[in-house]
Amino acid sequence: VEGRPPDERELVRRARRGDERAFTELVRMHQEIAFRVAYLISGGEAEDAVQEALLKAWRALGRFRPGAPFRPWLLRIVANEARNRRRAAGRRSALALRAEREEVSGGAAPSPEAVALAGEERGRLLEALEALPDDARLALACRYLLDLSESDTAAALGVRRGTVKSRVSRALERLREAYG
Amino acid sequence: MAELERELRRLPVDWPATPDLAARLELAPTHARRRRLAVAALVAAALVAAFAVPQSRSAILRFFHLGGVAVERVETLPAATERPLASGLGSPVDDAEAARVLGTGFLPRSHGTLYEQNGFVSTLLSTPEPALLSEFGSADMIKKLTATSAVEQVEVAPGVSGLWISGAPHAVFFPGASPRLAGNVLVWARDGVTYRLEGRGLDQPRALRVAREVLGTSSG
Repeated sequence: VEGRPPDERELVRRARRGDERAFTELVRMHQEIAFRVAYLISGGEAEDAVQEALLKAWRALGRFRPGAPFRPWLLRIVANEARNRRRAAGRRSALALRAEREEVSGGAAPSPEAVALAGEERGRLLEALEALPDDARLALACRYLLDLSESDTAAALGVRRGTVKSRVSRALERLREAYG
Repeated sequence: MAELERELRRLPVDWPATPDLAARLELAPTHARRRRLAVAALVAAALVAAFAVPQSRSAILRFFHLGGVAVERVETLPAATERPLASGLGSPVDDAEAARVLGTGFLPRSHGTLYEQNGFVSTLLSTPEPALLSEFGSADMIKKLTATSAVEQVEVAPGVSGLWISGAPHAVFFPGASPRLAGNVLVWARDGVTYRLEGRGLDQPRALRVAREVLGTSSG
């Protein structure tokens, strides 16, 4: 009988005591979201940013408050490193994302025209998102493209939850105006 | 507005593939683990010293270890260059970043510009002679080789012992850097952080006074 995988709190407890495997497991649980947050902020620097941030997180584990959620803590470190790298490179963050081709999943296949139209709409929405100022774009990307909670978004952006709410609200207004 | 939010959530984004960062992690031991490793290293060093035959100890004459610093007494120093104290300190960082690197806040709380490089956070002090204070909280060990410098165990503060290395310059190896010659140095460790204070004009009383001020144990 296989044992249940250890929960996050247990992994954090073990990692804080210097268990490298436990920390690696934590990284595995969160590396995709960490990489995507870093990608939103620093584009091509994302991989290096996350790697450096993971080492910093490992060294800073002693200061992690036991019982606190691990993901926002990690995202804060990752996002900070990504911002530093973006600043060092003197670049503005860019989404540089593309809309995926939508897979047809059963049922009546849409007409080629409908597929083209939907793809065009999605591309237009991404373009409008891309054209927003940094703060607005990142807030919307974290909340809706990554589906992060307000707390996680606040950690990634290095702001308070209240700021996330107001920033997202204003960003949606601007996007609505731009997207029509 | 809700419709726009739904559309954003439904956007199928073509994210770049996430690299397997977990598989590539190369972690240095943390404070807790480092303490256990340090004890193991001391035991191993003691065993080596106890059982080594004289010929096998001709290269390394004596070994000291404190916090993240290993000091080896050797017959001849390796080639090392003399460089200014302020060279190769890394990039400026704020207090929060320094605390993240060290796992705790940089001491003293009131300080000049901090620089970070490879896990080492440093600042330049005026004692009034220029001195370099470096702190590191991981197992980013530095190694010091000394041929003729004096190495003395000192008490920095109650329960905090240190090593005072003085006299002739010794060679110091920081991770990722070529060896350089260092002047008088006081090394001590507390709460998982290793402190290193270096300055050509430092004498032992002054170094100890600065160390106590850094730790906040100075009696005034």
